[in-house]
Amino acid sequence: MKHKIRFTINREVKEIEVEPNKTLLKMLREDLDLIGAKEGCGAGECGACTVLVDNKPVNSCLMLAVEADGKKIITIEGLSDGINLDLLQKSFIKHNALQCGYCTPGMIISARALLDRNNNPSEEDIKEALAGNLCRCTGYQRVIDAVLDAAGKGGGK
Amino acid sequence: MKEFEYLKPDSIKKTISILSQYGERVQLLNGGTDLIVEMRDKIIQPEYLVDIKAIPQLNRITYNKQDGLNIGATVTLNEISNSKVVQTHYPILVKACKTVGSYQVRNRATLVGNICNASPAADTAPPLLVLEAKVNITGPTGEKIVPINQFFTGVKKNILKKGEIVTSITIPPIKEKWVGVYLKQGRKKEVDLATVGVAVVCIRDEVRIALGAVAPVPVRAFKTEELLKGKTIDESLLEKAGRSALTEVSPISDIRSSQEYREEIIKVLVRRAILQAKGGHIL
Repeated sequence: MKHKIRFTINREVKEIEVEPNKTLLKMLREDLDLIGAKEGCGAGECGACTVLVDNKPVNSCLMLAVEADGKKIITIEGLSDGINLDLLQKSFIKHNALQCGYCTPGMIISARALLDRNNNPSEEDIKEALAGNLCRCTGYQRVIDAVLDAAGKGGGK
Repeated sequence: MKEFEYLKPDSIKKTISILSQYGERVQLLNGGTDLIVEMRDKIIQPEYLVDIKAIPQLNRITYNKQDGLNIGATVTLNEISNSKVVQTHYPILVKACKTVGSYQVRNRATLVGNICNASPAADTAPPLLVLEAKVNITGPTGEKIVPINQFFTGVKKNILKKGEIVTSITIPPIKEKWVGVYLKQGRKKEVDLATVGVAVVCIRDEVRIALGAVAPVPVRAFKTEELLKGKTIDESLLEKAGRSALTEVSPISDIRSSQEYREEIIKVLVRRAILQAKGGHIL
């Protein structure tokens, strides 16, 4: 049986009917055409599907769409205002903090959540916050530099 | 993922009646970080899923000096790590919660879920064992309280019977000054299951020790504790404690480690945890 759910997605209220066995990630990608969040492992290991639920980063592959009822969800598509990129997005570009880009939406969402709760993170704080976001291209250093720079700490000197 | 019916009761009573009614066909959904993976992989295929996150009284952390700390079933690991009372009174628990999965996982995963899942490697289990936590269970016949060391019955098995749920975990107060340590050995620093986990609590001349990932269930090392009781900790006693702890567990070889490596690490971590808890240096 489908369930009617109501939630906020990137600051817009939506009401849709979903099957209970659909993950939040699938709903975002298939029903809302928000394909920034990716499925990497589907098991909460890689973080490519990271989105903000009530301002907290979660693996959208480990959450059912029905559980999003009443929640406020932000995906990578919702970080910019449509004209200006988020500070972190600019910083990732500046530092070439990506190659294939598959992990980038999740990385930036996790980093955004970190800066929102701690605007002065150390390198260790960044490593802890991004430990659940795997990247097989960059070796992480440029990602860390980008986050440090966005936090006003001159990452990468 | 196979189709199922999703239910979201707003009370413990309703939850228990649903669980009793559907028996084997129903599965309880809390943080879902283990469950949804198992459903995706079709390891479990429930016909009904009962989400307990709409039950208000399960989402609380309370603390007072007389009763200690009470953590509701739906409180997430990050809510515990961020809680001032837990940070102040039970830093060992914060340490253990922070070693589970990733930050994203800890925003969903719960302490009670970690315990109910009953993995031998559950990071929160050894600290709860040395803190002598109590598991509060409600079922069709009423409420009961079970000591955590009687809760685990086998790999991914616990004592819960049909219709029963864990509503919260209570950590009794420790009246005297104490120090707790949780050490985890994994293949990498973050986002890994424990190869070996060791928790130690020292209260005056009492030393409590518990180990994870080295037996079918998390183990309290009572014999080793007896060996240490009232004694001055020195090098030879630490070595004895490591060897003794080894006799209380049954490590296996698996994807994360060989049995031999686990045996070595048990000795190292037991010794290191006791030393740290006693305020000594790592030798």
